[in-house]
Amino acid sequence: MASTKASKEQKYDRQLRLWGDHGQETLENAHVCLINATATGTEILKNLVLPGIGAFTIVDGHTVTGEDAGNNFFLSKDSIGKNRAQAATEHLQELNSDVSGNFVEEGPDKLLDNDSEFFHRFTIVIGVQLPESTCLRLGSVLWSASVPFLVCKTYGLIGYMRLVVQEHTVIESHPDNALEDLRLDQPYAEFQNHIKSYDLDSMEKKDHSHTPWIIIVAKYLEKWLSEHNGQPPKNYKEKEAFRQLIREGIRKNENGVPEDEENFEEAIKNVNTALNPTKIPSAVEDLFNSEQCKNITAQSPCFWVMLRAVKEFVHNEGNGSLPVRGTIPDMIADSQKFINLQNVYREKAMQDAAAVSKHVESLLQSVGKPAESIPEKDIKLFCKNASFLRVVRCRSLAEEYSVDTVNKDEITSCMDSPDSEMVFYLMLRAVDRFYQQHSRYPGVYNYQVEEDISKLKACVNSLLQEYSLNVNIKDDYIHEFCRYGAAEPHTVSAFLGGSAAQEAIKIISHQFVPFNNTFIYNAMSQTSATLRLLELNGNLPFADLFSSPNLPM
Amino acid sequence: MVQLVGSLRKELADSISTCKILVVGAGGIGCELLKNLVLTGFKNIEVIDLDTIDVSNLNRQFLFQKKHVGKSKAQVAKESALQFCPSANITAYHDSIMNPDYNVEFFRKFMLVMNALDNRAARNHVNRMCLAADIPLIESGTAGYLGQVTVIKKGMTECYECQPKPAQKTFPGCTIRNTPSEPIHCIVWAKYLFNQLFGEEDADQEVSPDTADPEAAWNPEETAARATASDKDGDIKRVSTKEWARSTGYDPVKLFNKLFKDDIMYLLTMDKLWKKRKAPTPLDWHQLENSAHDTSSGLKDQQVLDVWGYCQLFQHSVETLRSQLQEKGEGAELVWDKDDPPAMDFVTAAANLRMHIFSMSMKSRFDVKSMAGNIIPAIATTNAVIAGLIVLEGLKILSGELESCRTIFLNKCPNLRKKLLVPCVLDPPSANCYVCASKPEVTVKLNVHKTMVLTLQDKIVKERFGMVAPDVQIEDGKGTILISSEEGETEANNSKFLSDFGIRNGSRLQADDFLQDYTLLINVLHVEDLERDVEFEVVGEAPDKAPPPQTNQEEVNSITNGNKDSAQPSTSSKGYEAAKQPQTVTFPPP
Repeated sequence: MASTKASKEQKYDRQLRLWGDHGQETLENAHVCLINATATGTEILKNLVLPGIGAFTIVDGHTVTGEDAGNNFFLSKDSIGKNRAQAATEHLQELNSDVSGNFVEEGPDKLLDNDSEFFHRFTIVIGVQLPESTCLRLGSVLWSASVPFLVCKTYGLIGYMRLVVQEHTVIESHPDNALEDLRLDQPYAEFQNHIKSYDLDSMEKKDHSHTPWIIIVAKYLEKWLSEHNGQPPKNYKEKEAFRQLIREGIRKNENGVPEDEENFEEAIKNVNTALNPTKIPSAVEDLFNSEQCKNITAQSPCFWVMLRAVKEFVHNEGNGSLPVRGTIPDMIADSQKFINLQNVYREKAMQDAAAVSKHVESLLQSVGKPAESIPEKDIKLFCKNASFLRVVRCRSLAEEYSVDTVNKDEITSCMDSPDSEMVFYLMLRAVDRFYQQHSRYPGVYNYQVEEDISKLKACVNSLLQEYSLNVNIKDDYIHEFCRYGAAEPHTVSAFLGGSAAQEAIKIISHQFVPFNNTFIYNAMSQTSATLRLLELNGNLPFADLFSSPNLPM
Repeated sequence: MVQLVGSLRKELADSISTCKILVVGAGGIGCELLKNLVLTGFKNIEVIDLDTIDVSNLNRQFLFQKKHVGKSKAQVAKESALQFCPSANITAYHDSIMNPDYNVEFFRKFMLVMNALDNRAARNHVNRMCLAADIPLIESGTAGYLGQVTVIKKGMTECYECQPKPAQKTFPGCTIRNTPSEPIHCIVWAKYLFNQLFGEEDADQEVSPDTADPEAAWNPEETAARATASDKDGDIKRVSTKEWARSTGYDPVKLFNKLFKDDIMYLLTMDKLWKKRKAPTPLDWHQLENSAHDTSSGLKDQQVLDVWGYCQLFQHSVETLRSQLQEKGEGAELVWDKDDPPAMDFVTAAANLRMHIFSMSMKSRFDVKSMAGNIIPAIATTNAVIAGLIVLEGLKILSGELESCRTIFLNKCPNLRKKLLVPCVLDPPSANCYVCASKPEVTVKLNVHKTMVLTLQDKIVKERFGMVAPDVQIEDGKGTILISSEEGETEANNSKFLSDFGIRNGSRLQADDFLQDYTLLINVLHVEDLERDVEFEVVGEAPDKAPPPQTNQEEVNSITNGNKDSAQPSTSSKGYEAAKQPQTVTFPPP
């Protein structure tokens, strides 16, 4: 029973406010693959089924155990003995009738043996509690197929996520506190004409106090430039003088007392940001210079075709600037004046987008693709976000694991700090090694804990030796990991389930910047870290969108 | 060693399966929390929620399905959780936690209280109940991608009210009724209008022009002659808006012309208001109707209609609401709900028409809804993360490790230090907190000749200081009772002024809330003049004294991160067969 559009709008109202209709549309078109319906796996999937992904497929060859029923909300006592993929699918499907649930009663290795392209169909593959060998094998298949791979693991009180994707492009990165794109320093012709249509001196009082501040700043900037050899105010002192110039423009009453003109106050307040020179952010410049942008082929993803078109625009019609964003902030003004000004920006943005569109068209033609293969609305969205474009490139698992390419320096320098989460990364690698050697995780049987401690210690040492890592891991960590017995405590799974689903949504919607590339959560201290270790040099700049939490609790 | 550690784990596991937990709220966080608790092995859980299930909850409150819409959240949450974990013992209350039945004795039954609330009044109340019962409280909240969790324990940590919270925004009556300057003013006005027309009338929610606006300094009799519009509305104050609307049979066109034409023309006669402001422009239904517009096509949430579009939306929504009212029968009232389409349509239309009249650019239904409903975006993922953190803090408390508890903030993205989570050490109680100090005391600035007892009760003691059923007496040696929590006992005092009871500068009032086991001493500071529309001010909490910026948490964090050596709880899951659990409680050593 699929919902109608209106009822979806109602059901998803609270999240549409975060990622919009088009973000929701990408979710609804997504097909997510989950490998292993453990507690962590079903928690992740639950958080994707609720907001309404299109479809999911669970791949799991395991049979439900009592232990599963004990820590997994989506497996009940009745499911014990059934295939885990099937049992979990039945329960998860109940959460949202708009989502299509599928399952495969086989493990990933077997699937890969039979059909190496099985996983190519998915929007994202989420692998949970995978042994190292499967992880590496699947990782290389997905890497070459350019399917994003999110590896997740709950191991006792430690949570781990690793994003593996060659290239992830983000059009809407939603930066906090982005500067407006007003072009006061280089007004385009239409804007200049609009400014000319105002004559602040001859206006009626009411109009004077309802002129948008952007016009006020533009007017006084003209005046300033003519008095200062065309040089805008640059340092604090000059900007202060410029503010004073605006302040003098406030009308006075018959007694010579300045009137209360809020629009002028607004203009004065905005001088600093308004005078920011229009320029192309360095992150975007770097993208312009990347190979993908230079060599457009029939296989180039739309993102790169549009980026190249924007680059062409910058070098031609744009005279060195990105397309005008076309939005202006709210301000004190009467509706008519505001709307007129808004239209000047909006029309220019449309013109610029149309010019970019032309470039897109000829680029597509040059590689033998139909012009309409990139829709107009995508180009508009791209132009609107041109300053905020991001590309995240992760390192492959193979490179991370290879003795030749491991980033030793990073690991060693992290381990110098006693509180670094790096130690958990190394411990997780060591227990993987234990599993390879013993076909089980350390400490899963109580009676073996003591002997497993020394076996795990041997794994730690051989790992450090193999990678020639001169670091010290305290025995307590080894004891601790043995005692974890590869358990998946529900609350840690719940935490990781929320975090991993959030990253999956970022990947699917191409909105917001995902983490890069390893995330470790320590449930004992409630701390977390994003390790950017194990990464190639020359990676593209990654914007940390820090926002201070300022919550009404 | 393993055995030692194992036995510690057993103690915790035992206390998990025997202790009683109260979960306040069964919404976004509450659903996740219930699941986490039963799967961690908690057996005795009580959950309370006043709300019923709405469609817009279904994107995250996973214990609810479409078939449950309209049912009690607490009840359905209990049933859904039991389906998965039949062995748990869950009690559900479809009720407000502020109901006096849930007294200090009730709270004392629990080892731990976990809040999963969405409003400050209930948070204040539970905070006080937990202080009174001396039960540890875990407080939490989410907004979009952000979230936080903290622990409150009497005498050891800050209580929920130790730090002043930024005031919830209210707007002066004159701004709403006479001189709106921002879209939100028009939206608030439209919500008032809804209540005036279809809901419960409230004297504080007037929508007609306010002739007592001090700024207008306007004498109605003097200008009555000039006011051509006012002949129809001369009795604006005497007939209630609702009665008048009813007398017209809720005729949308008549309502329209009164609200958007006559009332606006009336406002125009208050000419002092428009000396510096741009004057409003009245709208006329018939004129708009005749100036032929394209009939706008299907309503889309995010598009802004033209004026005639909103006229039609106004008409349709009034008609729908009228028939809803008729169906409910004589004397019925509607309750405004942002998720009820006709109610939301009505506010969208009325607010936009008023925005247009006052020269503001109009807003889409989607945006109006955000503002009208104070909508905080909400998604499953953040709630899942926060609920996971709550239980982990709970386990620390149960292991007697309160000092290792933290306030934890969840960021949208890893911050500049690559931290998604920012844990901070809990602060000790604030010595002059007006709630958890040993003898709480405040000073309130007001005009004793102009403040009525009812204002003292509703706005100061209840709204500002969060009491639910206050008794107030004057410390005049006689113990004169000003306000009694017994219904009707002091009603005669309500409309008298404080000065009528001999209250003057320096008087002291003792306010008690029996339920909250909370006494507050209020010192009166008499002043003649307060700002326009300000009725009182709490001394030392001027509006500019906002809570400290939260960016400092980073610093706190770096100091405290080193201290993670204390014994940590392990988790224990008691399903049908105990799942594998970490077996330690000590890690890593210093």
